[in-house]
Amino acid sequence: MTETKDNIELNDDMDPRFENLAAYALGALDDEESRAAVEHLIEQFPEVRAEYEELSEATDYLAASVTPVEPPAHLKANILKQAEKESAPSVARLVAAEIASNRSNSAPWWQRVFQSGYAVSAAAAMLVIVVGSVLSYQNTQLGNEIDSLRSDLAAETVLVANLQNELATTLNDSESRVASMKSEMEVMEDEFGATTEMVNHQEEMVSELAVANDALRQALRDQSWLTYVAMKEGYQVESWLANDTQQVATADPDAAGLIAVRVVGNEAVFQVHGLPQPQPDHAYTLWLMGNGDPTPVSQFEVSEIGSATVAFLLPAPLQFYSSVMVTQERVNGIGNDPSGTMVIFGETN
Amino acid sequence: MDEVYRLNYQDLEDLELLAKIGEQDREALATLYERYGRRVFALAVRMLNDPVGSEEVTQDVFMSVWRRGATYTSKKGKFTTWLFSIVHNRTIDELRKRRRDRSRDKDDINDHLNIQSGDVSPADAAVAQSEYAKIRAAMENLPEEQKQVVELSYFKGLTQTEIATKTGQPLGTVKTRMRLALKKLRTALSAEMGAQV
Repeated sequence: MTETKDNIELNDDMDPRFENLAAYALGALDDEESRAAVEHLIEQFPEVRAEYEELSEATDYLAASVTPVEPPAHLKANILKQAEKESAPSVARLVAAEIASNRSNSAPWWQRVFQSGYAVSAAAAMLVIVVGSVLSYQNTQLGNEIDSLRSDLAAETVLVANLQNELATTLNDSESRVASMKSEMEVMEDEFGATTEMVNHQEEMVSELAVANDALRQALRDQSWLTYVAMKEGYQVESWLANDTQQVATADPDAAGLIAVRVVGNEAVFQVHGLPQPQPDHAYTLWLMGNGDPTPVSQFEVSEIGSATVAFLLPAPLQFYSSVMVTQERVNGIGNDPSGTMVIFGETN
Repeated sequence: MDEVYRLNYQDLEDLELLAKIGEQDREALATLYERYGRRVFALAVRMLNDPVGSEEVTQDVFMSVWRRGATYTSKKGKFTTWLFSIVHNRTIDELRKRRRDRSRDKDDINDHLNIQSGDVSPADAAVAQSEYAKIRAAMENLPEEQKQVVELSYFKGLTQTEIATKTGQPLGTVKTRMRLALKKLRTALSAEMGAQV
């Protein structure tokens, strides 16, 4: 439904005294002052009161429009308990009732006392009043103290609640910290695990390096690197010379060597290692053996570790030679045949 | 034989119960609570949408009746008008306090549009539903703008200035709509519901 112009115009000629009545009935006035002003108008003017009663009848309908809801069962007991507390007979109330009762009598109290002749009773009544007044004062004091205690109790309750909140907060913080530390510990454990793993890995690497070193040592020992050098320099390995203890009983067991022959031309290189230092005034002599006739090729010295590289020209293609031999000969004393100790002997391939 | 003369509080009128309350008669208060407690609680729930807060309001209202019951006279209007004005004012105070606090405010008008019903006796439910249906029908017949100001003021506890601000209407228009809405409701409902309320 929409508002019509007629509806709105109802307000145009509204009596100013009625202006805030509806808001008052609906509880929608802004402040206490406005409410007091409206209440004053309602008291002062019957027509305002009549209008207000009409409007408040409508607000009764609004209140009645709400479907009743059963309150919690304990609420009634709570209300009655509080009512009992507040209705506890106080001395002040009893004395006030007594005074009120006395005042309700038409004759003055002194007249009634003297008319009745019960002066003792009157005195007693006076005493009751005086004592009652004193007790009333004490009761008021007691009431004030109770109020003060209630106030203190409320403050204490708030304090306790605050403390509980603080404790709860501290507990939460503590729990968070523990959780955080636990998490950090786990991270550290992971990192420590990773470190251990790294150390193990490094140990493995060291072990592998040791193996590699051994291999290198072995490679150095068997002079396989010479093969590499020779091949790189364009030489072809033609023959390995190995110690043959059966044939060369006096040879050093570690002695070995090879002949590398250049593919083009008759240049050749003899590599040897593991030879002991020759006797004084002696040097090693390389012999090529063809058809049983030895041909001296070169006399050479070895390094401190017993190795030597001897370059020479093949007198004839290598296939004409069946074996290679190294002997110790006197320096500058090479004859046509080997005469000194043989240290290496090998078949050519 | 005492039972024969024992006072049956259920038979007493509201004003008679109030007189007994003035004499600190707790059974009279209990009877009044039995008679109106559900409606008082329901109105508070309708406005606050909070059963716990409504419980506090209900207790405050009946304690107010306990303390001030003796001062009530029929010159102040019908007893129910007086009682529900106490409920309404107390609940509005609570609503405005919450609005100030903001922490407990559930500021959604739609929360309040659904009437809640709890454990209600069949008889109460039938009567209430009947009343509610009639009042709801009367409300529905109001122009939307008038319905809104009633809802916002009576059930949401907004002042007329707040309603003007919230709805963007001039204050004078809000006042007029409030008055028109109440007059229309009264006209529509007084004939058939006057005796029930």
